[in-house]
Amino acid sequence: MGLLPYLTAHALDEDYAQAAARRAAGTTAGGAAPRRRIGLAGALALAVFAVLAVTAAAQTSQDSVTQERERRDLISQVKDRKAAIEAERRTVARLRSDNGRLQSALLRNSSSAGGVLADLSLLALRSGTSAVHGPGVEVIVDDAIDAQSDRFKVLDSDLQKLVNGLWRAGAEAISINGERLTNRSAIRNAGSAISVNYTKLSRPYRILAIGDPKTLPSLFADSTSGQAWLDLQRQVGLRFSMRTQSSLRLPATEAPDLRFAKTATAAHGRGAS
Amino acid sequence: MIAVIGLLVGVALGLVLKPDVPIGLEPYLPIAVVAALDAVFGAARAFLDGIFDDKVFVVSFISNVFIAALIVFLGDKLGVGAQLSTGVIVVLGIRIFANVAAIRRHLFHA
Repeated sequence: MGLLPYLTAHALDEDYAQAAARRAAGTTAGGAAPRRRIGLAGALALAVFAVLAVTAAAQTSQDSVTQERERRDLISQVKDRKAAIEAERRTVARLRSDNGRLQSALLRNSSSAGGVLADLSLLALRSGTSAVHGPGVEVIVDDAIDAQSDRFKVLDSDLQKLVNGLWRAGAEAISINGERLTNRSAIRNAGSAISVNYTKLSRPYRILAIGDPKTLPSLFADSTSGQAWLDLQRQVGLRFSMRTQSSLRLPATEAPDLRFAKTATAAHGRGAS
Repeated sequence: MIAVIGLLVGVALGLVLKPDVPIGLEPYLPIAVVAALDAVFGAARAFLDGIFDDKVFVVSFISNVFIAALIVFLGDKLGVGAQLSTGVIVVLGIRIFANVAAIRRHLFHA
């Protein structure tokens, strides 16, 4: 007999039939009347069953409620922390700008400072910690139309090539979607998005480069990066447009503090000097 | 009549007392309930068949609950807890269906 037919045939515990048979034998022998009422023990078992079932149901619903509450708690914690970080960032930016303002005010007022202020603003200009404006080019790149796979999208390596080519062509300051590139900026894939200066970018990518508007486009087109982008445009279908602008304004960025790099002096410098 | 009273008292007790299941016994409770359900449906069928016996019901109830919990416990220790629980649920489910079919025949003569 197969397992399933056996299960259905013996769904009722055989003990019931056996007990009934025993009782029948007892009755014919002149014993007690057949007993088929539900007694106190049966009622007690039923009560236990009801307690079990109600407890299990209560437990399950309570568990799901608890889980849902925990999930909400976690989500709200994440949101709180994000907001806190955002607030701290704003504070940092505000303090930095205050600091810069006070510094320049101090240097302007002291007669001994001399050319320090000019040096400082030049350094800030070069390192990307002050906003700059000037003529240059505006480049807008975007994924191919109906991009299905990564092959038809702008990758971090594509943006790196583009930026390299622009530096090569004589760009003096570059920003991508409002993120100023400094000597410590990385263009990289973070998850599904490209991130610059730890900020996620979304397409289309708008690259501003300050430089000579007359020579930048042609020098870029001549460079290997420019050629590579021409290929990308033709073969993959990435969208690329470059326009010269008479006046561009690039934002400043928060330069992270240097913790390990120190100015190399003659006494400490061990590398090429 | 006394069966219904027992059932109602149990429900009321469960709702009022809300017994807290120890965390160690929590995985065994659902399967114990299914096993108890099987015993209850078996008893109902036996009652309609006219062969109900109090003692058999109580014994089958306790042994069902105990064995179901034991199987889950063993499965947990052997690393096949989920599979064994599934097996137990399938077997008990088939039995419940078969018993309910018999009860249906008694009640509706169909």
